[in-house]
Amino acid sequence: MINIQHVYKRYHSVHALEDLTLEIPQGAIFGLIGPNGAGKTTLLRILGTLIPPTSGKVWFGDVEVTQSSTQIQRKVGYMPDFFGVYSDLTSEEYLEFYAGIQGISPRRSPRIVSDLLELVDLTTKRDALVETLSRGMQQRLCLARALIHDPDVLLLDEPASGLDPRARVEFRELLRTLQGMGKTIVISSHILLELAEMCSDIAIIRAGQLVMAGNVEQVTQSLGGGNQIEIRVLEHAEDAKQLLKAIPEIRNVFEDQNDSEVIQAEFNGDNQTLHRVLAELVAHDIPVISFAPRRAVERLEEVYMSITEGASIK
Amino acid sequence: MTFTALLTKELRLRLRRERFVWLIIIYLLVMGILGFGFLQRANVFSGGYQGYLLSQIGAQLYALLSFIQLFLIMFIAPAFTATAINGEKERQTFDLLLCSKLSAFSLLAGKLIAGLVNVLLLIAASIPLFSLVFFFGGVSPSQVLSTLIIFIMTAFVAGTFSLCCSTLIHRPTASTAVAYTFCAFWLFAYPVISFLTLGGSIPVTSRWYIWVQWLNAWNPISALNSAVSSGPGTVSNFYVFRVHLSPWVAFTLVSLVVTIILFLLSMAFVKPDPIGRFLPWLRYLGKKSEQS
Repeated sequence: MINIQHVYKRYHSVHALEDLTLEIPQGAIFGLIGPNGAGKTTLLRILGTLIPPTSGKVWFGDVEVTQSSTQIQRKVGYMPDFFGVYSDLTSEEYLEFYAGIQGISPRRSPRIVSDLLELVDLTTKRDALVETLSRGMQQRLCLARALIHDPDVLLLDEPASGLDPRARVEFRELLRTLQGMGKTIVISSHILLELAEMCSDIAIIRAGQLVMAGNVEQVTQSLGGGNQIEIRVLEHAEDAKQLLKAIPEIRNVFEDQNDSEVIQAEFNGDNQTLHRVLAELVAHDIPVISFAPRRAVERLEEVYMSITEGASIK
Repeated sequence: MTFTALLTKELRLRLRRERFVWLIIIYLLVMGILGFGFLQRANVFSGGYQGYLLSQIGAQLYALLSFIQLFLIMFIAPAFTATAINGEKERQTFDLLLCSKLSAFSLLAGKLIAGLVNVLLLIAASIPLFSLVFFFGGVSPSQVLSTLIIFIMTAFVAGTFSLCCSTLIHRPTASTAVAYTFCAFWLFAYPVISFLTLGGSIPVTSRWYIWVQWLNAWNPISALNSAVSSGPGTVSNFYVFRVHLSPWVAFTLVSLVVTIILFLLSMAFVKPDPIGRFLPWLRYLGKKSEQS
């Protein structure tokens, strides 16, 4: 488990992190959410021992980061948001180089490199120069680099930025595979829906301070982003609203500002509740043409936008 | 192991580039054309020289080629080392090196050796050209050896200074400019200062004279001059703590000390938080002194 205790980070007059306290469970895919300048990269760089905190402590199990950075570096694989590659090296040479500087012997290195190229699906690009690889392939190669010394913890800073939809899906699958291998993955991203679907836990950071952390569903619910349904009717929208208000599980009913035939409602409950709501509408001859439940995680973006509105570094 | 991995990567990157082949070609062409020009001017090809005169021409040709080589080393060594560290930062690959087991020593030694291997390859490539001198005679093996040592030490000082610049200065262009300024100062400071201040009028016992002599002791031109010249007119010998040293030996020793100091300075600053990294050591030493 990673335990972050009252961490502050200041760059001259800029407060990048302020009194940040957070726990990252072992084996979790932990998402860091926040606007630009919120302090996500600073936090990841502290966890990667690239910069020390101004004050506060970060523990990896029972090892404190500033006391034993060498020990932490063995446990951590870091992938920065912007990274360069040595364009004149082939994929294999690139990974062999990082294996070498991680202290892996030349005898073991070819096997590890082959396994990692297979894991990130780049075996066919083994002899290709790194500069000829697409952005998505370079991203996967960099992930293989971060895994070269078999770290327990992966720190991924905006790993999906700049990737096309297909590459994103492949990358997400890769992360799931890694979670299955028992790695703890800390990931920062702006693509919230993907993050919500992928992460078991999230933390929302704003202006260097923690807004909320915990299980994805819990965080979204507690920030007022409960489950929602969007109902489109052909006519009788007013009757439908009255009917919905009478159902006990429906908390709030409101009309879409752009379309009077669209009704949105927040509700507590599960699929049984949804079934009952739809049956009720149909039983009262309301001409429903679409009935779209939205889970809390799907509403994460709206919640995020509302809580990070106007946020910037102090 | 980490050092070998870094060195292998650096050499792969540098030697694969086409520009390195062009550099060797241009380097040898410059030296070859100037050497040929000298022989042409000395009417060597028209014949009629006696053995004694030919050996004099051989010594002069050797001196000419050595000075050209010295200037080329001064020009090339910073080009390969002045952007070694800040270039990694600019390429955004430095953080990835910091996350590894690479120590400050291995990182700098790998970068320095890889940079200087290029210079050493150029020196090696010029050996066939230098060997032409032996057709004429007039150059002793001890002169060849001392010249080679001066070349290597010059490359090391220029390389470590440039490496130090790339560690301390954020922008590669700025570090390259500072490195070349230093090389120009190093080469020409002694001739200029001695011309301006001494002019032969300051007594040998003056403090100024001693300082300028120290500057002379670390001047590559003076050292090379002492190595390639023979007979009257050579640079004076030096006395360090009553030890008699010829200029090229004094140059080699001072250069060695300067190289070590510059390398240690680079080591202290190459990784982030230089003061913070020494704090555990200071705490440890503090505890030791408390216990005692």
